[in-house]
Amino acid sequence: MTTGKTIRVRAVSFLNGRPLYHTLADPKHTPRYDDGTPMFELVEALPADCAAALAAGECELGLVPVASYVAHPEWEVVPGIGIGCRGPVETVIVCADRPIEEVETIYLDGASRSSALLLRLLLHERGLSPKLERVAHGRGEGLVHASKGRAAALIIGDAAFGLQARFAHTWDLGAKWFEATGLPMVFAFWAARPGVLGPEHVEALQRARDRSLGKYAEAIAKQYRDELIARLDEQQDPADAEPVLPETRYADYLRKTIRYGLETQQREGLVEYLARCRAAGLIEIPGLDDEDQIHVKFVGTATPEALVAARARRAAPLDLDEILARAEAGGRIDLAEGIFLYENAPLMRLGEAADRRRQALHDHGVVTYIIDRNVNYTNYCVTRCKFCNFYVPPTDKTGRGYVLSKDQLAEKFRETEALGGIQILLQGGLNPDLGLDYYEDLFRWTKRNFSLRLHALSPTEIIHIAQIEELPVIEVLRRLQAAGMDSLPGGGAEILDDEIRNRISPFKNSTDEWLAVMRAAHELGMRSSATMVFGFQETAEHILMHLDRLRGLQDETGGFTAFIAWPFQADGTRLKLRDDTSAFRYLRVQALARLYLDNIDNIQVSWPTLGPEIGEIALRFGANDFGSVMIEENVVSTAGAHFMMTAKQIEQHIRLAGFEPRRRTMTYTLLPRSPGPGEQAASSSSLSPSAA
Amino acid sequence: MNAHKDTARFATIAAKVRAEQPLDLDDGVFLYRYPDLLAIGALANERREALHGDKTFFNVNFHINPTNVCVADCKFCSFARLEPDAPAAYTMSIDEVRQKLVERMDQPVTEVHIVNGLHHDLDFDYYKDCLRALKALRPDIHLKAYTAVEIHYFAQKYGLSYEQVLTELRDAGLDSMPGGGAEIFAERARRKICRGKAEAEDWLEVHRTAHRLGIRTNCTMLYGTVETLEERVDHMLRLRELQAETGGFQTFIPLAFHADNNDLAKLPPPTGVDNLRTYAVARLMLHNIAHIKAYWIMIGIKTAQIALSFGVDDLDGTVQEEKIYHMAGAETPQALSRVDLVRLIREAGRVAVERDTLYNERWVDDGAALEGIRIDASLPFSSEAGRVSLPVL
Repeated sequence: MTTGKTIRVRAVSFLNGRPLYHTLADPKHTPRYDDGTPMFELVEALPADCAAALAAGECELGLVPVASYVAHPEWEVVPGIGIGCRGPVETVIVCADRPIEEVETIYLDGASRSSALLLRLLLHERGLSPKLERVAHGRGEGLVHASKGRAAALIIGDAAFGLQARFAHTWDLGAKWFEATGLPMVFAFWAARPGVLGPEHVEALQRARDRSLGKYAEAIAKQYRDELIARLDEQQDPADAEPVLPETRYADYLRKTIRYGLETQQREGLVEYLARCRAAGLIEIPGLDDEDQIHVKFVGTATPEALVAARARRAAPLDLDEILARAEAGGRIDLAEGIFLYENAPLMRLGEAADRRRQALHDHGVVTYIIDRNVNYTNYCVTRCKFCNFYVPPTDKTGRGYVLSKDQLAEKFRETEALGGIQILLQGGLNPDLGLDYYEDLFRWTKRNFSLRLHALSPTEIIHIAQIEELPVIEVLRRLQAAGMDSLPGGGAEILDDEIRNRISPFKNSTDEWLAVMRAAHELGMRSSATMVFGFQETAEHILMHLDRLRGLQDETGGFTAFIAWPFQADGTRLKLRDDTSAFRYLRVQALARLYLDNIDNIQVSWPTLGPEIGEIALRFGANDFGSVMIEENVVSTAGAHFMMTAKQIEQHIRLAGFEPRRRTMTYTLLPRSPGPGEQAASSSSLSPSAA
Repeated sequence: MNAHKDTARFATIAAKVRAEQPLDLDDGVFLYRYPDLLAIGALANERREALHGDKTFFNVNFHINPTNVCVADCKFCSFARLEPDAPAAYTMSIDEVRQKLVERMDQPVTEVHIVNGLHHDLDFDYYKDCLRALKALRPDIHLKAYTAVEIHYFAQKYGLSYEQVLTELRDAGLDSMPGGGAEIFAERARRKICRGKAEAEDWLEVHRTAHRLGIRTNCTMLYGTVETLEERVDHMLRLRELQAETGGFQTFIPLAFHADNNDLAKLPPPTGVDNLRTYAVARLMLHNIAHIKAYWIMIGIKTAQIALSFGVDDLDGTVQEEKIYHMAGAETPQALSRVDLVRLIREAGRVAVERDTLYNERWVDDGAALEGIRIDASLPFSSEAGRVSLPVL
């Protein structure tokens, strides 16, 4: 039974805000706690006033301009909901009677925060510096007329409808932003004072948005138009008034122009906007160093049902010996049992069970490895994950950013072939300049010129491309597959739990988005690996939920070839947290993964992060694969992992652990025993370093 | 190998271990070759927990190597310089030795570990004066000084018996002896790697004498050079025999050979599995030696942490300066701070205990916040040392 206090809400009175609170304001539909108390009590206000009220504690939840969030990093943002656009927005307009580049003054709408900041940014980037003067909401248009061409005005909200028809020169700031960045703009979102909202409120707000857009867009449009006509009748001078547009126009605006999500790409747009504003010196973010990335704190989401059930089950005592014996024999252990093992099983018990399970699955005494090359085609990335040392933001002006040319790629690919490599592991940052045709061309070119398999693009990159192209993920995958993509690396999974993800990489894809890409790829017949990076202060539950989600998807598709876990490499990254990333924990996680992932055949050791000695030992803790020779690696090596090995060294470690080394393909088909040409793979130090 | 027969044999050995019966040479070699690494590890862990529970010992010491000039020509050594005028050869003055401790007067160091090359041209007084100088500065500090190889060399060079050498050194301040220089006892292997050094019997006799004089000592084994598995187990058995006689050994420290920058560089390095196996076999063979120590400077911090589940109960951890292995390219930071070490032990599910040289407990981890126990501010966090990737430490 849920019960709680009614939360005081300020919401933007503009048309575009209404779908977010239409049903909240309706006593019939407003969400209530189980005891009937309404969750929300709503007051309408202008955007800037919503923020002021939230800051002053006059309400607990506000639909606030994103620019006002900058001064209040303590606020918690409701995930998944925003007010934004991708291209023209229609209701954030600068208007003038002469070209806007030539005006002396621009009047800023007093109700605006984000739009005014966006205008200042766009002016800054154009080298323009007209006088800016804040005026009351609704006054701008009259002042422009009175200025006889010397001034322009930024008009926001419903008053901006139809302005483009009435002025010779206008800027639609949504369109200008999109031209500059290729990204969506987010103007406002729900923000709450810290600790107020729970998962039930988030769910109610998301449902209110979905319901309004699904069923009530037309009703909202009609209601808005009726109110407008009623206001017109009362108004003295109809010449200054907002024009009345057809109902369908308003409905289209709500359904098509405004984007109400806050998904990966909107989050990218948001962080790009704030980052550019900061770089231009327009904002200062309290408590954040210049080098720190901007991040948004989200309200926690609901506890998954499976976890609730697991917690309930753990109230009863569990039998360690029985669970381990069952797991060792290949039987399934459930979530509660997995969490129990993680928290209670000694390292050696987990290891022994995992070692026997490994032996049962791979009874021939063989440990495999692959010769491939990790090529990071670009380091430009919009995501700015706190744990990453590799990325360079697209706004970077220091020249550290790169996109590898075909000549550079060809050299790396040729070297790979010469060293007996059979595959390229192609991954890069989320570069907004690279569209689907870039990858299609790159893949076709690779397949034409080299006999290398393409183990390419993690789910994070696929989602990024899908959003740039506005295509469904499956369509992107289908086209990439047609162009030559063979399989997907499992990167970007980190911890597949949004509680952790929101903390460490709020602008990266969510758990469900990651899994959806893998599901789609598997459905198209492409295999993939799965990964986990631990050491983000996650709990046993997070770790096991991660494994459980992978196992669940594997039950559906069978598409995962292997699982690989490694500890987070923190050196020099901006993620300021300390967690257990010891070899001891690594071996426990890996052994548990071997037991829990009863439907994934192969477990890879991660020697690049742990060193070959632990890699060798890990072969006795459930792993049956030594990974890749790693001719090149740029991401974890920029955070302090420096191990490199030749094929000969890898084979030596495999033998020392008591196994026969064999080379394999991505799908774990064994290659013939006789070594290929260029048997001696070199470490990166003897090759030309990448452009990084 | 007949897997079924092996499993039965392992079970027999496990029963012997649990009945606290000594294992023999064949048992040891069998354990070394038994493929199920974790079964051996778990058995060794059982012994370790029976002896010490979760306690994992460390002490706060530092090393002084007053000279690296050495007449011996050990193939495995990257430290010793044969001639005093060889590049990088050095001999500290007594005052320089003293200065090493002066620099640490404000630190909670309880032990100084002193080892030298076999210098061709120093008076015996030099070695006694080193001890006296340090004791004069801090009478309470424990001096663990001079390996059996040095004692043997002093006896020969200055025409004294082991007993005379040890008595004079003890009177000058020597409290206990490190276990170095044992290398590998088997004559065949010993001749190949350290011809001209004290023979196995000499080494053992020095320790026998020390024990008789009430001087506690440690013992070591250098492995991963040219020795066979039989020779490793034989080495352990010889130590066990002397221990049965005297009870004077405190700790056994297996030393993994480091193959950079010395005459044996062509050998493959000892590896993760071999290291763990050696700790486990040592714990099982050496039933009468209380402690098994991992020297993380050589095997790396990560393997050392795992070794705590394979029979090891002592970490040689807080080492401020260690010249010998670092000249051989050990890629670990030179020092761990106390916090780092305690965290590493906690993460392995154990309880850190700071001991003195003679294993009196000075401090037991009560699980309090780590920052509060960081009393040794001068030791760097290894993340700052920046030598290798260490996710935690």
